[in-house]
Amino acid sequence: MKPRSTTTVWRHRDVLWLLVRRDLTLKYQQSFLGYIWSLVEPLVLALIYWFVFGVLYTTKIGVGGGAYPLFLICGLFPWMWANSSMSESANALTSQSRLITTMKVPRELFPIGRVLGRFAEFVAGLPVLAVFALIYSGHFGLSWLAMPLAVVMQMALLVGIALILAPLTVMMRDVARMVRLVQRMLFYATPILYPLAKVTESGAPEWVKNIYLANPLVGIFQLYHAMFFPEEMPSLSLLGVSAFGCFGVLALGWWTFRRLEPAVLKEL
Amino acid sequence: MGTPIIEANDLGVQFIRNRRRKLRLREMFIYRGGRQPSTADHFWPLRHLTFQIHEGEAVGVIGRNGTGKSTLLKLIAGVLHPDEGSVACYGRVAPLLQLSAGFADDLTGRENVQLLGSLHGLSRSQIKSKFDEIISFAEVDKFVDTPLRHYSSGMKVRLGFSVIAQLTHPILLVDEVLAVGDRAFRTKCYTVIDRMLKEGRTLVLVSHSDSDLTRFCSRGLYINAGVLHTDGPIREALAAYNSAVTG
Repeated sequence: MKPRSTTTVWRHRDVLWLLVRRDLTLKYQQSFLGYIWSLVEPLVLALIYWFVFGVLYTTKIGVGGGAYPLFLICGLFPWMWANSSMSESANALTSQSRLITTMKVPRELFPIGRVLGRFAEFVAGLPVLAVFALIYSGHFGLSWLAMPLAVVMQMALLVGIALILAPLTVMMRDVARMVRLVQRMLFYATPILYPLAKVTESGAPEWVKNIYLANPLVGIFQLYHAMFFPEEMPSLSLLGVSAFGCFGVLALGWWTFRRLEPAVLKEL
Repeated sequence: MGTPIIEANDLGVQFIRNRRRKLRLREMFIYRGGRQPSTADHFWPLRHLTFQIHEGEAVGVIGRNGTGKSTLLKLIAGVLHPDEGSVACYGRVAPLLQLSAGFADDLTGRENVQLLGSLHGLSRSQIKSKFDEIISFAEVDKFVDTPLRHYSSGMKVRLGFSVIAQLTHPILLVDEVLAVGDRAFRTKCYTVIDRMLKEGRTLVLVSHSDSDLTRFCSRGLYINAGVLHTDGPIREALAAYNSAVTG
Protein backbone atom coordinates (compact mmCIF):
# COMPACT_ATOMS: atom_id res chain seq x y z
CA MET A 1 0.00 0.00 0.00
CA LYS A 2 2.53 2.57 1.12
CA PRO A 3 6.15 2.46 0.09
CA ARG A 4 8.05 0.57 2.72
CA SER A 5 11.67 0.56 3.60
CA THR A 6 14.13 -1.63 5.37
CA THR A 7 13.10 -0.14 8.69
CA THR A 8 9.80 -2.04 8.47
CA VAL A 9 11.46 -5.22 9.57
CA TRP A 10 13.09 -3.53 12.48
CA ARG A 11 9.83 -1.91 13.59
CA HIS A 12 8.14 -5.29 13.57
CA ARG A 13 10.97 -7.08 15.31
CA ASP A 14 8.70 -8.28 18.11
CA VAL A 15 6.45 -10.00 15.58
CA LEU A 16 9.53 -11.48 13.95
CA TRP A 17 10.74 -12.73 17.30
CA LEU A 18 7.31 -14.21 17.91
CA LEU A 19 7.25 -16.04 14.60
CA VAL A 20 10.67 -17.48 15.25
CA ARG A 21 9.66 -18.60 18.72
CA ARG A 22 6.46 -20.16 17.44
CA ASP A 23 8.44 -21.90 14.73
CA LEU A 24 10.89 -23.36 17.22
CA THR A 25 8.26 -24.35 19.79
CA LEU A 26 6.23 -26.09 17.13
CA LYS A 27 9.25 -27.88 15.82
CA TYR A 28 10.58 -29.17 19.09
CA GLN A 29 7.55 -29.47 21.27
CA GLN A 30 6.50 -32.88 20.10
CA SER A 31 9.84 -34.55 19.78
CA PHE A 32 11.28 -36.18 22.85
CA LEU A 33 14.86 -35.19 22.21
CA GLY A 34 13.85 -31.67 21.25
CA TYR A 35 16.63 -29.48 20.08
CA ILE A 36 19.18 -32.27 20.47
CA TRP A 37 18.04 -33.32 17.01
CA SER A 38 19.55 -30.23 15.48
CA LEU A 39 22.90 -31.42 16.89
CA VAL A 40 22.51 -35.07 16.01
CA GLU A 41 22.08 -34.46 12.32
CA PRO A 42 25.36 -32.64 11.62
CA LEU A 43 27.19 -34.97 13.99
CA VAL A 44 26.01 -38.07 12.17
CA LEU A 45 26.86 -36.46 8.85
CA ALA A 46 30.30 -35.66 10.18
CA LEU A 47 30.71 -39.28 11.24
CA ILE A 48 29.79 -40.50 7.77
CA TYR A 49 32.10 -38.12 5.98
CA TRP A 50 34.89 -38.82 8.44
CA PHE A 51 34.56 -42.52 7.72
CA VAL A 52 34.54 -42.11 3.95
CA PHE A 53 37.04 -39.35 3.47
CA GLY A 54 39.03 -39.53 6.68
CA VAL A 55 39.41 -43.27 7.10
CA LEU A 56 38.96 -44.68 3.59
CA TYR A 57 40.58 -41.84 1.66
CA THR A 58 42.91 -40.81 4.53
CA THR A 59 42.46 -37.07 4.34
CA LYS A 60 44.99 -35.32 6.58
CA ILE A 61 44.37 -31.87 7.92
CA GLY A 62 45.97 -29.67 10.56
CA VAL A 63 49.26 -29.99 12.37
CA GLY A 64 50.01 -33.71 12.48
CA GLY A 65 47.10 -34.32 10.13
CA GLY A 66 44.70 -35.67 12.74
CA ALA A 67 42.21 -32.83 12.94
CA TYR A 68 39.92 -33.84 10.10
CA PRO A 69 36.89 -34.39 12.40
CA LEU A 70 37.22 -30.84 13.72
CA PHE A 71 37.54 -29.59 10.15
CA LEU A 72 34.32 -31.39 9.22
CA ILE A 73 32.39 -30.21 12.26
CA CYS A 74 33.24 -26.57 11.83
CA GLY A 75 32.07 -26.74 8.24
CA LEU A 76 29.01 -28.92 8.72
CA PHE A 77 27.33 -26.89 11.47
CA PRO A 78 27.17 -23.69 9.42
CA TRP A 79 26.25 -25.77 6.39
CA MET A 80 23.23 -27.19 8.22
CA TRP A 81 22.16 -23.62 8.91
CA ALA A 82 22.51 -22.70 5.24
CA ASN A 83 20.91 -25.89 4.01
CA SER A 84 17.82 -25.88 6.22
CA SER A 85 17.37 -22.13 5.78
CA MET A 86 17.21 -22.54 2.04
CA SER A 87 14.76 -25.41 2.03
CA GLU A 88 12.53 -23.96 4.74
CA SER A 89 12.46 -20.41 3.47
CA ALA A 90 11.33 -21.70 0.09
CA ASN A 91 7.95 -22.64 1.55
CA ALA A 92 7.83 -19.87 4.15
CA LEU A 93 4.98 -18.10 2.37
CA THR A 94 3.06 -21.07 1.02
CA SER A 95 2.89 -22.86 4.34
CA GLN A 96 1.68 -19.83 6.24
CA SER A 97 -0.68 -18.48 3.64
CA ARG A 98 -3.65 -18.34 5.99
CA LEU A 99 -1.83 -16.03 8.31
CA ILE A 100 -0.50 -13.90 5.50
CA THR A 101 -3.84 -13.38 3.78
CA THR A 102 -5.67 -12.39 6.93
CA MET A 103 -3.18 -10.47 9.00
CA LYS A 104 -1.39 -7.32 8.10
CA VAL A 105 2.15 -8.30 8.96
CA PRO A 106 5.03 -7.32 6.69
CA ARG A 107 5.39 -10.37 4.49
CA GLU A 108 9.17 -10.38 4.43
CA LEU A 109 9.14 -11.38 8.08
CA PHE A 110 8.11 -14.91 7.19
CA PRO A 111 11.15 -15.92 5.12
CA ILE A 112 13.48 -13.93 7.36
CA GLY A 113 11.99 -15.68 10.37
CA ARG A 114 12.87 -19.06 8.92
CA VAL A 115 16.49 -18.01 8.47
CA LEU A 116 16.64 -16.73 12.03
CA GLY A 117 15.07 -19.89 13.41
CA ARG A 118 17.74 -22.02 11.80
CA PHE A 119 20.36 -19.57 13.02
CA ALA A 120 19.15 -20.18 16.57
CA GLU A 121 19.79 -23.87 16.06
CA PHE A 122 23.24 -23.09 14.74
CA VAL A 123 24.00 -21.06 17.87
CA ALA A 124 22.68 -23.90 20.01
CA GLY A 125 25.23 -26.16 18.35
CA LEU A 126 28.23 -23.96 19.13
CA PRO A 127 29.04 -25.69 22.44
CA VAL A 128 29.51 -28.91 20.50
CA LEU A 129 31.94 -27.11 18.24
CA ALA A 130 33.80 -25.86 21.31
CA VAL A 131 34.04 -29.39 22.68
CA PHE A 132 35.55 -30.63 19.43
CA ALA A 133 37.95 -27.71 19.45
CA LEU A 134 39.13 -28.77 22.91
CA ILE A 135 39.51 -32.42 21.97
CA TYR A 136 41.53 -31.65 18.85
CA SER A 137 43.40 -28.84 20.59
CA GLY A 138 42.33 -26.29 18.09
CA HIS A 139 43.61 -23.03 19.44
CA PHE A 140 41.35 -20.44 21.01
CA GLY A 141 42.42 -16.99 20.15
CA LEU A 142 42.08 -14.03 17.89
CA SER A 143 41.26 -16.27 14.95
CA TRP A 144 37.83 -16.81 16.51
CA LEU A 145 37.04 -13.29 15.41
CA ALA A 146 36.64 -14.77 11.95
CA MET A 147 33.39 -16.33 13.06
CA PRO A 148 31.26 -13.20 13.66
CA LEU A 149 32.33 -11.93 10.26
CA ALA A 150 31.38 -15.24 8.68
CA VAL A 151 28.02 -15.20 10.48
CA VAL A 152 27.19 -11.68 9.29
CA MET A 153 28.05 -12.56 5.70
CA GLN A 154 26.14 -15.82 5.82
CA MET A 155 23.12 -14.12 7.36
CA ALA A 156 23.05 -11.53 4.57
CA LEU A 157 23.36 -14.22 1.94
CA LEU A 158 20.70 -16.50 3.42
CA VAL A 159 18.19 -13.68 3.94
CA GLY A 160 18.75 -12.63 0.36
CA ILE A 161 18.20 -16.17 -0.90
CA ALA A 162 15.12 -16.57 1.31
CA LEU A 163 13.59 -13.37 -0.07
CA ILE A 164 14.08 -14.68 -3.59
CA LEU A 165 12.97 -18.27 -3.02
CA ALA A 166 9.86 -17.68 -0.92
CA PRO A 167 7.89 -15.59 -3.46
CA LEU A 168 9.19 -17.62 -6.40
CA THR A 169 7.84 -20.80 -4.82
CA VAL A 170 4.42 -19.22 -4.60
CA MET A 171 4.47 -18.48 -8.31
CA MET A 172 6.03 -21.76 -9.38
CA ARG A 173 5.91 -24.72 -7.08
CA ASP A 174 8.72 -26.49 -8.93
CA VAL A 175 11.17 -24.08 -7.37
CA ALA A 176 11.26 -26.23 -4.24
CA ARG A 177 12.51 -29.18 -6.26
CA MET A 178 15.11 -27.13 -8.00
CA VAL A 179 16.32 -25.81 -4.67
CA ARG A 180 17.06 -29.32 -3.45
CA LEU A 181 19.24 -29.97 -6.45
CA VAL A 182 21.08 -26.68 -6.14
CA GLN A 183 21.65 -27.32 -2.45
CA ARG A 184 23.36 -30.58 -3.20
CA MET A 185 25.56 -28.92 -5.79
CA LEU A 186 26.45 -26.10 -3.42
CA PHE A 187 27.41 -28.59 -0.74
CA TYR A 188 30.13 -30.04 -2.92
CA ALA A 189 30.99 -26.70 -4.49
CA THR A 190 31.97 -25.30 -1.10
CA PRO A 191 35.05 -26.24 0.88
CA ILE A 192 33.28 -28.20 3.60
CA LEU A 193 34.63 -31.72 3.17
CA TYR A 194 37.97 -30.71 1.69
CA PRO A 195 40.34 -27.77 2.08
CA LEU A 196 40.17 -25.08 -0.56
CA ALA A 197 43.75 -25.85 -1.63
CA LYS A 198 42.47 -29.08 -3.19
CA VAL A 199 40.62 -26.96 -5.71
CA THR A 200 43.14 -24.21 -6.29
CA GLU A 201 46.00 -26.70 -6.69
CA SER A 202 44.01 -29.05 -8.86
CA GLY A 203 44.51 -29.34 -12.60
CA ALA A 204 41.15 -27.78 -13.37
CA PRO A 205 41.23 -24.98 -15.96
CA GLU A 206 41.49 -21.46 -14.64
CA TRP A 207 37.93 -20.48 -15.60
CA VAL A 208 36.48 -23.39 -13.63
CA LYS A 209 38.38 -22.26 -10.58
CA ASN A 210 37.12 -18.73 -11.07
CA ILE A 211 33.53 -19.89 -11.21
CA TYR A 212 34.14 -21.94 -8.10
CA LEU A 213 35.60 -18.97 -6.24
CA ALA A 214 32.69 -16.77 -7.24
CA ASN A 215 30.44 -18.78 -4.96
CA PRO A 216 30.05 -16.50 -1.93
CA LEU A 217 29.89 -19.54 0.37
CA VAL A 218 33.56 -20.29 -0.35
CA GLY A 219 34.80 -17.20 1.47
CA ILE A 220 32.34 -17.75 4.31
CA PHE A 221 33.38 -21.32 4.94
CA GLN A 222 37.04 -20.43 4.67
CA LEU A 223 36.44 -17.99 7.51
CA TYR A 224 34.86 -20.72 9.63
CA HIS A 225 37.78 -23.02 8.98
CA ALA A 226 40.25 -20.25 9.69
CA MET A 227 39.10 -20.29 13.31
CA PHE A 228 41.13 -23.44 13.89
CA PHE A 229 43.26 -23.75 10.78
CA PRO A 230 45.05 -20.41 10.23
CA GLU A 231 46.34 -21.55 6.84
CA GLU A 232 42.74 -21.50 5.60
CA MET A 233 42.31 -17.79 6.26
CA PRO A 234 40.86 -16.40 3.01
CA SER A 235 42.77 -13.74 1.14
CA LEU A 236 41.36 -10.22 1.13
CA SER A 237 40.38 -10.54 -2.50
CA LEU A 238 38.47 -13.76 -1.86
CA LEU A 239 36.77 -12.12 1.11
CA GLY A 240 35.91 -9.13 -1.05
CA VAL A 241 34.35 -11.31 -3.73
CA SER A 242 32.42 -13.21 -1.10
CA ALA A 243 31.14 -10.14 0.74
CA PHE A 244 30.16 -8.54 -2.55
CA GLY A 245 28.26 -11.69 -3.46
CA CYS A 246 26.48 -11.88 -0.10
CA PHE A 247 25.29 -8.31 -0.04
CA GLY A 248 24.55 -8.38 -3.74
CA VAL A 249 22.23 -11.33 -3.19
CA LEU A 250 20.65 -9.54 -0.23
CA ALA A 251 19.92 -6.49 -2.36
CA LEU A 252 18.61 -8.63 -5.18
CA GLY A 253 16.40 -10.50 -2.74
CA TRP A 254 14.97 -7.29 -1.36
CA TRP A 255 14.20 -6.03 -4.82
CA THR A 256 12.71 -9.34 -5.99
CA PHE A 257 10.46 -9.55 -2.97
CA ARG A 258 9.17 -6.01 -3.47
CA ARG A 259 8.55 -6.74 -7.10
CA LEU A 260 6.70 -10.00 -6.64
CA GLU A 261 4.75 -9.15 -3.49
CA PRO A 262 1.52 -7.91 -5.13
CA ALA A 263 1.33 -10.95 -7.39
CA VAL A 264 2.17 -13.29 -4.53
CA LEU A 265 -0.63 -11.93 -2.38
CA LYS A 266 -3.16 -12.64 -5.10
CA GLU A 267 -1.83 -16.11 -5.59
CA LEU A 268 -1.89 -17.20 -1.95
CA MET B 1 -19.28 14.48 9.65
CA GLY B 2 -15.64 14.31 10.64
CA THR B 3 -12.62 13.33 8.61
CA PRO B 4 -12.56 10.27 6.40
CA ILE B 5 -10.80 7.37 8.05
CA ILE B 6 -10.91 5.05 5.05
CA GLU B 7 -10.58 6.51 1.61
CA ALA B 8 -10.81 4.52 -1.61
CA ASN B 9 -10.06 6.20 -4.87
CA ASP B 10 -10.87 4.49 -8.16
CA LEU B 11 -9.85 1.26 -6.49
CA GLY B 12 -9.39 -1.80 -8.65
CA VAL B 13 -7.66 -5.13 -8.51
CA GLN B 14 -7.06 -7.61 -11.27
CA PHE B 15 -6.91 -11.37 -10.99
CA ILE B 16 -5.85 -13.97 -13.46
CA ARG B 17 -8.23 -16.84 -13.87
CA ASN B 18 -6.90 -20.35 -14.35
CA ARG B 19 -3.30 -19.41 -14.24
CA ARG B 20 -1.36 -22.57 -14.73
CA ARG B 21 1.62 -21.51 -12.66
CA LYS B 22 3.62 -21.04 -15.76
CA LEU B 23 4.14 -17.33 -15.69
CA ARG B 24 7.32 -16.58 -17.48
CA LEU B 25 10.06 -15.08 -15.38
CA ARG B 26 10.46 -12.20 -17.75
CA GLU B 27 6.79 -11.39 -17.46
CA MET B 28 6.85 -11.45 -13.69
CA PHE B 29 9.62 -8.93 -13.44
CA ILE B 30 9.10 -6.66 -16.37
CA TYR B 31 5.37 -6.51 -16.80
CA ARG B 32 3.66 -4.47 -14.17
CA GLY B 33 0.45 -2.55 -14.65
CA GLY B 34 1.07 -0.66 -17.85
CA ARG B 35 0.25 -2.63 -20.91
CA GLN B 36 -2.10 -5.50 -20.34
CA PRO B 37 -1.96 -8.79 -22.11
CA SER B 38 -5.41 -8.78 -23.65
CA THR B 39 -6.51 -12.28 -22.81
CA ALA B 40 -9.88 -13.18 -21.40
CA ASP B 41 -8.11 -14.79 -18.46
CA HIS B 42 -7.69 -11.45 -16.78
CA PHE B 43 -10.64 -10.11 -14.90
CA TRP B 44 -11.39 -7.43 -12.38
CA PRO B 45 -13.18 -8.62 -9.26
CA LEU B 46 -13.38 -4.99 -8.26
CA ARG B 47 -12.97 -1.86 -10.29
CA HIS B 48 -13.58 1.90 -10.12
CA LEU B 49 -14.56 1.91 -6.48
CA THR B 50 -14.56 5.34 -4.92
CA PHE B 51 -15.90 5.97 -1.46
CA GLN B 52 -15.04 7.53 1.85
CA ILE B 53 -15.83 6.16 5.24
CA HIS B 54 -15.84 8.55 8.13
CA GLU B 55 -14.82 8.01 11.70
CA GLY B 56 -17.47 6.26 13.76
CA GLU B 57 -19.45 5.04 10.78
CA ALA B 58 -20.69 1.48 10.55
CA VAL B 59 -20.80 0.35 6.96
CA GLY B 60 -22.28 -2.87 5.67
CA VAL B 61 -20.97 -4.38 2.46
CA ILE B 62 -23.64 -6.28 0.56
CA GLY B 63 -23.54 -8.32 -2.58
CA ARG B 64 -23.92 -11.78 -3.99
CA ASN B 65 -21.27 -14.43 -3.56
CA GLY B 66 -18.19 -13.78 -5.61
CA THR B 67 -18.77 -10.11 -6.22
CA GLY B 68 -15.64 -9.01 -4.45
CA LYS B 69 -16.82 -8.21 -0.93
CA SER B 70 -14.04 -10.10 0.78
CA THR B 71 -11.58 -8.83 -1.76
CA LEU B 72 -12.59 -5.31 -0.79
CA LEU B 73 -11.93 -6.03 2.89
CA LYS B 74 -8.57 -7.51 2.01
CA LEU B 75 -7.67 -4.41 0.06
CA ILE B 76 -8.65 -2.19 2.97
CA ALA B 77 -6.73 -4.42 5.37
CA GLY B 78 -3.68 -4.18 3.14
CA VAL B 79 -3.25 -7.92 2.65
CA LEU B 80 -3.86 -7.40 -1.05
CA HIS B 81 -2.37 -4.67 -3.19
CA PRO B 82 -4.53 -2.72 -5.66
CA ASP B 83 -3.60 -2.66 -9.33
CA GLU B 84 -5.45 0.56 -9.92
CA GLY B 85 -6.24 3.53 -7.76
CA SER B 86 -5.59 3.53 -4.05
CA VAL B 87 -7.06 2.86 -0.67
CA ALA B 88 -5.83 4.50 2.49
CA CYS B 89 -6.64 4.00 6.14
CA TYR B 90 -5.89 6.70 8.66
CA GLY B 91 -5.71 4.59 11.75
CA ARG B 92 -4.80 1.10 12.80
CA VAL B 93 -6.88 -1.65 11.29
CA ALA B 94 -8.06 -4.81 13.02
CA PRO B 95 -8.85 -7.23 10.22
CA LEU B 96 -11.17 -9.96 11.42
CA LEU B 97 -11.15 -11.85 8.20
CA GLN B 98 -10.85 -15.28 9.74
CA LEU B 99 -11.07 -15.59 13.47
CA SER B 100 -8.81 -18.57 13.87
CA ALA B 101 -6.25 -17.45 11.31
CA GLY B 102 -3.24 -16.94 13.53
CA PHE B 103 -3.76 -20.07 15.57
CA ALA B 104 -1.37 -22.99 15.62
CA ASP B 105 -3.08 -26.26 16.41
CA ASP B 106 -0.14 -27.71 18.29
CA LEU B 107 0.14 -24.89 20.78
CA THR B 108 -2.00 -24.55 23.86
CA GLY B 109 -4.82 -22.05 24.25
CA ARG B 110 -2.59 -19.89 26.41
CA GLU B 111 0.21 -19.79 23.87
CA ASN B 112 -2.21 -19.10 21.08
CA VAL B 113 -3.75 -16.15 22.88
CA GLN B 114 -0.29 -14.68 23.32
CA LEU B 115 0.53 -15.37 19.70
CA LEU B 116 -2.64 -13.96 18.19
CA GLY B 117 -2.62 -10.98 20.55
CA SER B 118 0.89 -10.00 19.61
CA LEU B 119 0.22 -10.54 15.93
CA HIS B 120 -2.60 -8.03 16.29
CA GLY B 121 -0.22 -5.64 17.98
CA LEU B 122 -1.03 -6.07 21.66
CA SER B 123 1.94 -5.77 23.95
CA ARG B 124 3.02 -8.53 26.28
CA SER B 125 1.82 -6.69 29.36
CA GLN B 126 -1.54 -5.87 27.77
CA ILE B 127 -2.09 -9.52 27.02
CA LYS B 128 -1.09 -10.49 30.52
CA SER B 129 -3.51 -8.11 32.15
CA LYS B 130 -6.38 -9.08 29.86
CA PHE B 131 -5.63 -12.77 29.80
CA ASP B 132 -8.20 -13.96 32.33
CA GLU B 133 -10.86 -11.80 30.76
CA ILE B 134 -10.13 -13.28 27.34
CA ILE B 135 -10.30 -16.84 28.62
CA SER B 136 -13.49 -16.40 30.60
CA PHE B 137 -15.19 -14.54 27.76
CA ALA B 138 -14.35 -17.41 25.44
CA GLU B 139 -15.62 -19.88 28.04
CA VAL B 140 -12.58 -22.13 27.67
CA ASP B 141 -11.30 -21.87 31.26
CA LYS B 142 -10.79 -25.59 31.61
CA PHE B 143 -8.82 -25.87 28.39
CA VAL B 144 -6.28 -23.10 28.78
CA ASP B 145 -3.35 -25.48 28.71
CA THR B 146 -4.79 -27.94 26.24
CA PRO B 147 -3.39 -27.92 22.71
CA LEU B 148 -5.74 -26.21 20.33
CA ARG B 149 -6.13 -29.29 18.24
CA HIS B 150 -8.38 -30.70 20.97
CA TYR B 151 -10.66 -27.67 20.81
CA SER B 152 -13.97 -27.79 19.00
CA SER B 153 -14.29 -25.41 16.09
CA GLY B 154 -16.70 -23.31 18.12
CA MET B 155 -14.18 -22.97 20.92
CA LYS B 156 -11.49 -21.82 18.53
CA VAL B 157 -13.76 -19.17 17.10
CA ARG B 158 -14.77 -18.01 20.57
CA LEU B 159 -11.15 -17.73 21.61
CA GLY B 160 -10.34 -15.81 18.46
CA PHE B 161 -13.16 -13.38 19.00
CA SER B 162 -12.23 -12.88 22.65
CA VAL B 163 -8.76 -11.77 21.69
CA ILE B 164 -10.16 -9.42 19.12
CA ALA B 165 -12.61 -7.96 21.63
CA GLN B 166 -9.59 -6.63 23.51
CA LEU B 167 -8.12 -4.76 20.56
CA THR B 168 -8.28 -1.00 20.61
CA HIS B 169 -7.80 -0.44 16.90
CA PRO B 170 -10.03 2.34 15.57
CA ILE B 171 -10.99 0.45 12.40
CA LEU B 172 -12.64 -2.95 12.45
CA LEU B 173 -13.07 -5.06 9.35
CA VAL B 174 -15.43 -7.95 9.95
CA ASP B 175 -16.04 -10.69 7.43
CA GLU B 176 -18.97 -12.95 8.31
CA VAL B 177 -17.44 -13.96 11.60
CA LEU B 178 -20.70 -13.36 13.41
CA ALA B 179 -22.29 -16.22 11.55
CA VAL B 180 -20.43 -18.75 13.63
CA GLY B 181 -20.87 -19.70 17.24
CA ASP B 182 -24.07 -20.63 19.02
CA ARG B 183 -26.82 -18.18 19.88
CA ALA B 184 -25.57 -17.43 23.37
CA PHE B 185 -22.13 -16.56 22.14
CA ARG B 186 -23.52 -14.52 19.27
CA THR B 187 -25.37 -12.37 21.77
CA LYS B 188 -22.09 -11.73 23.54
CA CYS B 189 -20.46 -10.80 20.26
CA TYR B 190 -23.24 -8.33 19.54
CA THR B 191 -22.69 -6.70 22.91
CA VAL B 192 -19.00 -6.33 22.18
CA ILE B 193 -19.58 -4.82 18.76
CA ASP B 194 -22.19 -2.46 20.18
CA ARG B 195 -19.70 -1.37 22.79
CA MET B 196 -17.03 -0.82 20.15
CA LEU B 197 -19.36 1.27 18.05
CA LYS B 198 -20.30 3.36 21.09
CA GLU B 199 -16.62 4.03 21.60
CA GLY B 200 -16.67 5.69 18.21
CA ARG B 201 -14.84 3.06 16.26
CA THR B 202 -15.36 2.49 12.59
CA LEU B 203 -16.83 -0.79 11.40
CA VAL B 204 -16.90 -2.33 7.96
CA LEU B 205 -19.03 -5.46 7.99
CA VAL B 206 -19.46 -8.01 5.24
CA SER B 207 -22.55 -10.08 5.82
CA HIS B 208 -25.45 -11.84 4.23
CA SER B 209 -27.66 -11.42 7.23
CA ASP B 210 -30.16 -8.58 6.85
CA SER B 211 -30.73 -8.47 10.58
CA ASP B 212 -27.02 -8.14 11.42
CA LEU B 213 -26.64 -5.46 8.81
CA THR B 214 -29.58 -3.37 9.90
CA ARG B 215 -28.69 -3.86 13.53
CA PHE B 216 -25.19 -2.43 13.31
CA CYS B 217 -24.85 -0.48 10.11
CA SER B 218 -26.21 2.88 9.14
CA ARG B 219 -24.78 2.87 5.67
CA GLY B 220 -24.59 0.20 3.02
CA LEU B 221 -22.35 -0.42 0.04
CA TYR B 222 -24.00 -2.70 -2.47
CA ILE B 223 -21.42 -4.20 -4.80
CA ASN B 224 -22.53 -5.93 -7.94
CA ALA B 225 -20.20 -7.53 -10.47
CA GLY B 226 -17.22 -5.67 -9.08
CA VAL B 227 -18.62 -2.17 -9.22
CA LEU B 228 -20.23 -0.05 -6.55
CA HIS B 229 -23.93 -0.18 -7.34
CA THR B 230 -25.48 1.66 -4.42
CA ASP B 231 -23.87 3.71 -1.68
CA GLY B 232 -26.41 5.02 0.77
CA PRO B 233 -28.42 4.29 3.89
CA ILE B 234 -28.39 0.61 4.72
CA ARG B 235 -32.13 0.18 3.98
CA GLU B 236 -31.66 1.58 0.51
CA ALA B 237 -28.68 -0.61 -0.24
CA LEU B 238 -30.48 -3.68 1.03
CA ALA B 239 -33.52 -2.81 -1.02
CA ALA B 240 -31.38 -2.47 -4.14
CA TYR B 241 -29.75 -5.79 -3.40
CA ASN B 242 -33.02 -7.59 -2.69
CA SER B 243 -34.73 -6.27 -5.78
CA ALA B 244 -31.75 -7.31 -7.88
CA VAL B 245 -31.79 -10.80 -6.43
CA THR B 246 -35.51 -11.40 -6.63
CA GLY B 247 -36.23 -9.29 -9.69
